[in-house]
Amino acid sequence: MDKNFPEESTQVIRFDPPLYKQRYQFVKDLVEKYRPKKVADLGCADCSLLWMLKFYSCIEVLAGLDICANVMKEKMHMLSPLPADYLQPSERSLTVTLHHGSVAHKDPCMLGFDLVTCLEVIEHLEESELKKFPEVVFGFMAPSIVVISTPNSDFNPLLSREMVYRHPDHKFEWSQAEFQSWALEAARCYDYSVEFTGVGQPPTGMEKVGFCTQIGVFVRKHPPTAESVQSEKPTEAVYKTVFKAVYPSLKDGKYLQNAVISEVVFTAQIIKHRLMSKREESGHDPERKSKFQPSMDSFSDYLGKLVVETNVDPFVRGHEVHVPLPTIFAFPKVNRLCGTFEKLCKLIAGKVPLSSDGSAVVFNIQHENEEN
Amino acid sequence: QQLQQLQQLHVPPAVPEEPGAHGRLRGGDAVLQERRPEGLQVSSGLQDLSLRDRGGRRRDFHDLGVNTRQAMVHVQESKTGFSGRMVKLSTNHFRLTSRPHWALFQYHVGYSPEMEARRLRSALLFQHEDTIGKTHAFDGSILFLPKKLDNKVTELFSRTRNGEDVKITVTLTNELPPTSPTCLQFYNIIFRRLLKMLNLQQIGRNYYNPSDPVSIPNHRLMVWLGFTTSILQYEENIMLCADVSHKVLRGETVLDTMHSIHSQVGEERFRDACAKELIGLIVLTKYNNRTYRIDDIDWDNNPKGTFRKSDGSEMSFVDYYKKQYNIEISDCMQPVLISQLKRRGNIQGSVALIPELCSLTGLTDKMRSDFGMMKDLAIHTRLPPEQRQRELGRLLSYIQKDDNVQKELRNWGLSFDYKSVSFTGRVVQGEKIFQSGTMFDYNPQFADWTKETRGVPLMRAVPLDSWLLIYTRRNYDVANTLLQSLFKVTPAMGIRMSKPSMIEVDDRTETYLRVLQQRVTPDTNIVFCILSSSRKDKYDAIKKYLCTDCPIPSQCVLARTLSKPQTIMTVATKIALQMNCKMGGELWSVEIPLKQVMIVGIDCYHDTVSGKQSIAGFVASLNQPVTRWFSRCVVQSRGQELVDGIKACLQTALRSWSKWNKCLPSRIFVYRDGVGDGQLNTLVNYEVPQFLDCLKGIGTDYSPRLTVIVVKKRVGARFFAEVGGGFRNPPPGTVVDTVVTRPEWYDFFIVSQTVKNGCVAPTHYNVVYDTSQLKPDHVQRLTYKLCHMYYNWSGIIRVPAPCQYAHKLAFLVGQSIHREPNMVLADRLYYL
Repeated sequence: MDKNFPEESTQVIRFDPPLYKQRYQFVKDLVEKYRPKKVADLGCADCSLLWMLKFYSCIEVLAGLDICANVMKEKMHMLSPLPADYLQPSERSLTVTLHHGSVAHKDPCMLGFDLVTCLEVIEHLEESELKKFPEVVFGFMAPSIVVISTPNSDFNPLLSREMVYRHPDHKFEWSQAEFQSWALEAARCYDYSVEFTGVGQPPTGMEKVGFCTQIGVFVRKHPPTAESVQSEKPTEAVYKTVFKAVYPSLKDGKYLQNAVISEVVFTAQIIKHRLMSKREESGHDPERKSKFQPSMDSFSDYLGKLVVETNVDPFVRGHEVHVPLPTIFAFPKVNRLCGTFEKLCKLIAGKVPLSSDGSAVVFNIQHENEEN
Repeated sequence: QQLQQLQQLHVPPAVPEEPGAHGRLRGGDAVLQERRPEGLQVSSGLQDLSLRDRGGRRRDFHDLGVNTRQAMVHVQESKTGFSGRMVKLSTNHFRLTSRPHWALFQYHVGYSPEMEARRLRSALLFQHEDTIGKTHAFDGSILFLPKKLDNKVTELFSRTRNGEDVKITVTLTNELPPTSPTCLQFYNIIFRRLLKMLNLQQIGRNYYNPSDPVSIPNHRLMVWLGFTTSILQYEENIMLCADVSHKVLRGETVLDTMHSIHSQVGEERFRDACAKELIGLIVLTKYNNRTYRIDDIDWDNNPKGTFRKSDGSEMSFVDYYKKQYNIEISDCMQPVLISQLKRRGNIQGSVALIPELCSLTGLTDKMRSDFGMMKDLAIHTRLPPEQRQRELGRLLSYIQKDDNVQKELRNWGLSFDYKSVSFTGRVVQGEKIFQSGTMFDYNPQFADWTKETRGVPLMRAVPLDSWLLIYTRRNYDVANTLLQSLFKVTPAMGIRMSKPSMIEVDDRTETYLRVLQQRVTPDTNIVFCILSSSRKDKYDAIKKYLCTDCPIPSQCVLARTLSKPQTIMTVATKIALQMNCKMGGELWSVEIPLKQVMIVGIDCYHDTVSGKQSIAGFVASLNQPVTRWFSRCVVQSRGQELVDGIKACLQTALRSWSKWNKCLPSRIFVYRDGVGDGQLNTLVNYEVPQFLDCLKGIGTDYSPRLTVIVVKKRVGARFFAEVGGGFRNPPPGTVVDTVVTRPEWYDFFIVSQTVKNGCVAPTHYNVVYDTSQLKPDHVQRLTYKLCHMYYNWSGIIRVPAPCQYAHKLAFLVGQSIHREPNMVLADRLYYL
């Protein structure tokens, strides 16, 4: 379905999907492949790429950097958590930060990233900035992977435009040879390997001109030694943080506890409901313990198959229904949330009405009967 | 066939191709403008700005620019009353202040060559922040700045990415004073910006704080605390009206709910039950911050189905969500929810939503009827006055303490008073209740005279000579207990009661109907049915038959209500009163000083489930003490205007009035409830002229004095009585007609009822038309008196009784009968 070939109609080359989307897709594919935890986008502009990346569950830290604070601010609220993120907190944690600053300056907030993207940025840099760029990105930030894209001037004749560069702010546009020699030099200097590719296929028969956008994918050859990370990295912050959003996550105790309490009470209620309707069927016999057979129940599919064998059954004592915690813990959702039975007990202590020995969730059914 | 189904869905799941795009719903501003009265200078551009902010609906919720007071000479000078004692009140309004000589500068921004994209236009303009400054609001053509540029016309030059040179011409078009309507809209936009800066989440029209939710795990509910805010021109000041709002969210997806419905009702009734429970609910999507109303469920579709994208290509939902949001849809068997995109009432297409990706918001009717759940919820949502003020204080302190917010405000030259406005209101004296020649005082604090009038003969008791009591075998005992209790309570009321025909039936709807057909005679006073379950279909069938085909008053009571020995006497008393009213009896009265007056109440019911019908209840008084009422209703299918039917109602009401009184009324008061936000203009320009037209049609020499009052229960204003340094609910009878009313209206608030928990909500009355020449004080007093006249409640209610009767009638017709009841019943309160 993805046609990467330009449509050549009356000299105008158009890409479908548009070139910028192809660049984003390229990064998204890389994220799928390498599953990085920390990703930074240098020159993030209106945060479009960051917004797309926030949906990738492998990413726990997203950072954006741009020299223009206003362009970032315009849409930065798109990066805020949504109501649904609060309603169903995700298992992963995610922090999104936007920094205002230059790729020619070092700031410790850019350390420790797995992937750094730099799409269509270098061609906007002044000579002095471009000079510092490799040292900042490869030498200082030193992420595992760096993606750099820039226009390929070899392709420009096909674009048949009158301007020198594709954008008036471009300080230069490199040929394939120019870009590759710059990239190889940087890679050599900072111990990276680099592969060249691109997006925006040239028309058939003109493959020589290369991709419309040329891309270099740099992979660090060796993991940084503990020393090199610790030493000689300046700690002085020069970027200004313009936005920060911490997504609700089950890794945060507060959200985990809420989620567990909600799931425990809900599960217990379904078990109770089931027990009560069974008792109704079998006539009101308070002494008779109902046999609890979750696998036969219609709702069990909904709650999922029991993950732990349990032979503790819920029971009625006086006006109380007791739903033993081990029974609740056997249900997959609760089980997955808590991990251990001890953790379950700890999280719900004092928040859910329990029996005196703390072994079961207790419901008082006296008033319920009155209501009906 | 499957394919055909899918083809109909042209619109993608209403998600932007790019973040933040709101493209689809824009355009067509000019049409909206046409309907506005002249003299209102709200630029369409600014409207666009405000709506782009909210992303969709456009409507003037505050009825700005509907200036009705100017036509009423007698309230030009003053619209305030005078009677009653003074009470010190504070409110939830906060003054907005601006620098001295403040003005907002409005510019038109033109591009040469013409630039289409709004983003591009913004980007090009903001290359010149050194000229226009950092503080600005721009919607693509209209620019607002807090400062005046040096020249009336400023020319700027920018260059696009493509190297195209663009000349931008910024022309000063307006210098707006702080009170101009455009400025008011502007303040609201800026204020929403501030709320966003405070990291509040927008849901619908309000903003909520998601970081500190209250969770109610027993019901899988989550309550977010938030605020509804609006900035308006009030009597003397521009003020922010802020109120605490609660959003009930549910910690489950629509798919979860479907699963639990399935486990409850089984396969056979599953689809029906889903439709019943889910249609009409508002859902929140997981991937963007939008809310949708579920209008339908497409069972023939599933996530593997496709839709047509805006570029014309087909894509499956599964692929779309994977590609766009990296979301894996886990259940490919689930149906697809359909939401209609509406724009000013017209359907513009539909959106398909995946149940798994939708969270439910709000409460279903089923949940609302769950007493336990509502009780648990009320603990968190019914805030007593003190706490409510405290929560509001928190919002204000957020605003005050946030540096960015303060900076934004400062840049625009605006600020708020962080202490709410306080002023004096009046508490009008309590009304005396008359019942059979006796006068009663009641404790005004409680606004209730149940105790005082117990065991006192009714004003007009209708005998029960011939009546039917229908029950199932299971409820035989209940029926007898009820009968005995009725025999005990009725003599004191002066109701003569004979033994009814006791009819035992089996519990099937057809049996009930057959018995009614066989046993109801023209002499039957009333039919009493004891129902064993709250199954709506049986109730509906009985009501429908006895309201239309065979017009006889009827009383249906659930057996459960009668089964508690400790409350049976109270219940029997209430039932006796209710039956008496249904048969045309009268209970009590208050003093109505006006002569030859007809009082009309109108309310509307909109069928939300089927969305097909609207019903207007119309109730008009028939006698001098306003204890008897003429009731009719209008049933309209979608798209028709209710007003034509209302006109016909008024005609027949006048005919009845003249039959009862041997003359026509010289004064008519219309209390019009059920007017939505933003519909005031329509009411004033279409409905009121129709009333006048109708009166003209009665006779050339007939010109009664007409007063039309719009009644609004849902208002943002809250009043607090300052008692001993603390805040309390103001007492019943509190009237507010200064400070927080609107200068362009002849309006006032009355707090007539009391509440046990939480804050009392005042009712807003807006006199939109008045040739009565009565003083405002008299109109206020009359309105308050009418709040005493609702016979289903021996106390004061929130609205004038005719509004509540009209509501009751419209509700019964809308819920159960679905067509106009028989006119034979029109002189009785048969729908109580």
